[in-house]
Amino acid sequence: MVNPIYILILSLVIGFLLTIIDKAGRKLSLFFLYGVLSFNVAVMFIWFYQFAFVGRASLMIHTAGFIAPISINLKLGLLEAFVLLLANLAGLMSAMFLFKKLKETHISGLILYLVLIMGVNGLVMTRDLFNMFVFIEILSISTYALISIDENKRSFSAGFKYMIAGGITSTFFLLGIIFIYYFTGNLNLDTVLGNSSMLAMKTGVFSIFLLIVSIFIELKPFPANGWALDVYQAVNSGITSVIAVVNSAAILFVFYKILPLLPDQYLMVFVGAGIVTFLFSNLIGIKQTDPKRLLGYSSIAQMGLVVAAISYTTKLNISQDLVFIMAGGIFINHFLAKAGLFWITGIIKRSEIKDWGILRNNTPLLLLFGVLLFALAGLPPFPGFWAKWEMAKIFVSNNLYVGLAAVLIGSLFEAFYLFRWFGYAIKNERKEESLKPVDFSQLFPVAVFVLITLLTSVWIMIRVYAFDLINFLPVAAVFGMYLLNFLKAKLKAVLAIIVVILYGYSIYPLETALQSLFGIIFVIGSGIMIITTMNRKGKISGFYGFLLMMILSMGNLIIAKSFLSFFLNWEFMTIAAYLLILRGKKGQVPALTFITFSLAGAYLMLAGFGFMPNVLSSNAIINTIGSIEIPLAAMILLLLGFLIKSASFGLHIWIPGAYAEAEDDVTPFFASIFSKTGIFGLLLVAISFIKHSSEFNPFYWLGWLGAISAIVGAFLATFQEDVKKLMAYSSMSQLGYIIASVSLLSHLGWISALYLTLNHFMFKAMIFVAIAGVIHRTGTRQMYKMGGLIKKMPISYITVLIGIIAVSGVPPLSGFGSKWLLYSSMLEKGWYLQAGVFFFASGVSFLYLYRMIHTIFLGQLKYEHQNVKEAPIYFLIPQVIFIMGIMAISMFPNLIIKPLNSIVGNYFASTIMIDGYNVTSSLGHWNGNMVMMVTMGVFIVPLVFLILFNGRTQKVKQFNIVFAAERPESPQTTHFAHNMFSHYYKALGGLTKPRIQNFWNSVSEWSNAIAGLFRQIYTGNGQTYLLHILLYIVVLYIFLGV
Amino acid sequence: MIFSLILGFILLIIGLYGMLTQKNLIKIVIGFSIVDTGTHIIIVSIGYLRGKTAPIIDNAVDLANAAKQVVDPIPSALVLTAIVIGLAVTALMLSFIIKLYHKNRSLSISDYQELKW
Repeated sequence: MVNPIYILILSLVIGFLLTIIDKAGRKLSLFFLYGVLSFNVAVMFIWFYQFAFVGRASLMIHTAGFIAPISINLKLGLLEAFVLLLANLAGLMSAMFLFKKLKETHISGLILYLVLIMGVNGLVMTRDLFNMFVFIEILSISTYALISIDENKRSFSAGFKYMIAGGITSTFFLLGIIFIYYFTGNLNLDTVLGNSSMLAMKTGVFSIFLLIVSIFIELKPFPANGWALDVYQAVNSGITSVIAVVNSAAILFVFYKILPLLPDQYLMVFVGAGIVTFLFSNLIGIKQTDPKRLLGYSSIAQMGLVVAAISYTTKLNISQDLVFIMAGGIFINHFLAKAGLFWITGIIKRSEIKDWGILRNNTPLLLLFGVLLFALAGLPPFPGFWAKWEMAKIFVSNNLYVGLAAVLIGSLFEAFYLFRWFGYAIKNERKEESLKPVDFSQLFPVAVFVLITLLTSVWIMIRVYAFDLINFLPVAAVFGMYLLNFLKAKLKAVLAIIVVILYGYSIYPLETALQSLFGIIFVIGSGIMIITTMNRKGKISGFYGFLLMMILSMGNLIIAKSFLSFFLNWEFMTIAAYLLILRGKKGQVPALTFITFSLAGAYLMLAGFGFMPNVLSSNAIINTIGSIEIPLAAMILLLLGFLIKSASFGLHIWIPGAYAEAEDDVTPFFASIFSKTGIFGLLLVAISFIKHSSEFNPFYWLGWLGAISAIVGAFLATFQEDVKKLMAYSSMSQLGYIIASVSLLSHLGWISALYLTLNHFMFKAMIFVAIAGVIHRTGTRQMYKMGGLIKKMPISYITVLIGIIAVSGVPPLSGFGSKWLLYSSMLEKGWYLQAGVFFFASGVSFLYLYRMIHTIFLGQLKYEHQNVKEAPIYFLIPQVIFIMGIMAISMFPNLIIKPLNSIVGNYFASTIMIDGYNVTSSLGHWNGNMVMMVTMGVFIVPLVFLILFNGRTQKVKQFNIVFAAERPESPQTTHFAHNMFSHYYKALGGLTKPRIQNFWNSVSEWSNAIAGLFRQIYTGNGQTYLLHILLYIVVLYIFLGV
Repeated sequence: MIFSLILGFILLIIGLYGMLTQKNLIKIVIGFSIVDTGTHIIIVSIGYLRGKTAPIIDNAVDLANAAKQVVDPIPSALVLTAIVIGLAVTALMLSFIIKLYHKNRSLSISDYQELKW
């Protein structure tokens, strides 16, 4: 095995010789450069393999023929080998990325690069404090010089600021070293660590502080980091990538090495400083539009988080595995994603994120970009996700709530600006010249790092958490569909249905009927709904993969066996939904709103799960949750997370945009299926609560929230012109009913909740599919532009009619049953006021339902719709299936009431009697079958009468209407369907102010304003940055409180 | 020893003051050099022991008691390295200033603020 010291020797020798070698041509020098870099990678790979898989003990390398502490010694253990393998690989890849640059630049560029990488290797391995200083300087000086590889003013001025900052911090580092030497008489890290009692006094701690703080400043803590941001922004992307990951990795490792010198009680200062850095850098990042500076903020933030993780785990002395997942996870996530993204900025070369639409011209690059971006945002299955999961658990178990909140808020900011960037890349239209073909030498490094990211993710899922294969399915579906991209959409749809059927078959039979109920909604419902999408033409890249991802992850929620698996699939589902919304024509902003709210919910849930015990069970979590007591704090956090998904009042502002702008055949998935995941979550929490009820009952308030959602949603729906927005608010309203009936926590309440869930699933699906067909034919979503379509689209009309009868709760359809159950259960519980609100909300819902069916299907046919045909068959099939479903449960309510009775019977003692078709509660009885018969009779008798004696009516035609005197500019606006309920709107007066919208707008404005305020500290002046550093050291020392 | 130690710290502070207050890039680098010099004096004075001789084995040092007769040689060795490194950084800074001056015809640090926020 090669002694790693040859890395240093070889780099130095070749570095010196390169000036001579270069006389023989640049090709030869490049050969030697890449040769040495590859040699480094190979050596480190061998050692890493030896340590990790063969189990070799750490290697100690002594120099100059003496053993430490007389001489300098180097150490290579598992961690060192791991960091150096990554660093050398990034070094090699970045050199490959810089191939063209290195071919043209002066030979000193190659030498400096080689020396830089050597410095990194030395820095990680050395155990001697002064030697560390020397390697830091070697690293810094070569970095300073490489910064000027693009000879422009910006990089020189950034480099100069960097040198001032770096020069002063290394002076402090040197002072720290010399005082430690003075107190301990030694420079060897291990010996000093052994004699740390000699440093226990004030001056000793001060010298350690100087040592650590100067390394910490090299890691760019907020706010002493202005110089670093300028470097990230100004310097060549290949070099920036090295600075951001390779240099940082080495410096971070030094930090990790010397941190144990500091007594435990002082470590919290660095935890705090790291978290502050993470929060504020991400906050300021939301104002940033230059992609490189944006990544700079993100780099600084991530480094802060790693520092916090390392400091905290060092303090707690917890098990090495957790340290690896938590600190190592954030580190490797940042390392791979950041390097790759910086390279991509070098390929795209657009200094405004708005201009990144050009990325779409290169699909492979777009995919690589997407993977890295999702990884950086800390989404599953990438390493950052697992790190945050463990971090939440550790922070909660040590009561570090403020820290956890800061980390989660910071993560949300980060996700926001990353996804905004992603949105621009995916959606912004650019008609400029197409992207130049990307050199292989530039694409290859990115691809390698994406591959490593994916492999690491899979490794963590399999080896660390031992996930079942089924948890991989959502991601596998995306890749599978990507490989089958060449197929026609119809074929892909059929394939998707087959996958869903097979999936359903594989999870069947489920353990409980409750699971089966949600299985019907999530899996079977989705399978039926895919038929709608078969109307698509062409290949439709990037659609079915994400659709399957959403469906399979929803299915996995039902059978998840641990909280982690539940949360993993929850996040998968969110990602898929985000990408599906983003596909819509104007999906950019709604998708960003959606993902921001969803991730906020996810982080609340993450914090909530942090409170929960680890569950090791072979049963699904929904079945075992009853035996787990959820602490109150966790319950509230989880409920908030679930309420965001079910678009409860106050958290609903994402819903109109997301539903309306998603493609028309995707919206039914969201409205009827996806929204039920929130209900599933509520049930999860509620089942635990009924078995372990506490003094404070959050469900009482949830009941009110449901009532308010129902009434507000109904009103909002009433005033929409856009039919999809109308239906979106209607969903919000209907989900309010379900939330409230879950909150009843009673037998009848839950029957009504589940009944409503199933009912809403069916009628919302059929109405939305019918509407999708109408929009498909008429090309508009504005209802006043439609009218009289009853004759052109009779089947769609019947669907919508049946749908709205089912919504409104008039006899005979299933909606009546659900309303009966709802009011009975409310009255039984004594929630009279709430029942009153729901009663009123049902009245309001007539308004919007009437508006919808009337303005679209009744009245006069518009001239431009003369030739409209019935919706395509693919839209009709699901409608008919759901009509049959609704009719079946309306005619024979027992089909559904009996199973529901037995499901709920597991949680509450039964309070209803079922006798034939008669359901009897303590308040009365309901015979669905009889209601159906009576209503049919009442309907048929007048119908027959009208058919027989209806000769005298005359049809009103288009030209029977005459405008008096003049023709208005836009005739539609005189249509009474336009602004239909304006009188009600006026009547509501001040209540119509969009308060919630305004609230969230001001949250966004305030965040932006605060970010704008904080970033003023980065004046661009090198002296100010130096002042920041000096003040930072003083302030941190005061916080240390020695 | 104390005297030179204090002198070193005074130089360090003077240098920092200069770096923070002078607008001229060259003067900032001079400030940096003063900081460097102050640091070097601190390092040397830490190794100094009153009444001891240079750590060179010659006639003045008794081989058997060498360790008790000489000053600590390690800080002296370290300071040499530190001086070399300081020199390199200073030289690099000055070369950056030359480049900046060529590009922008200005030596004031206030003229290099376009990267910010």
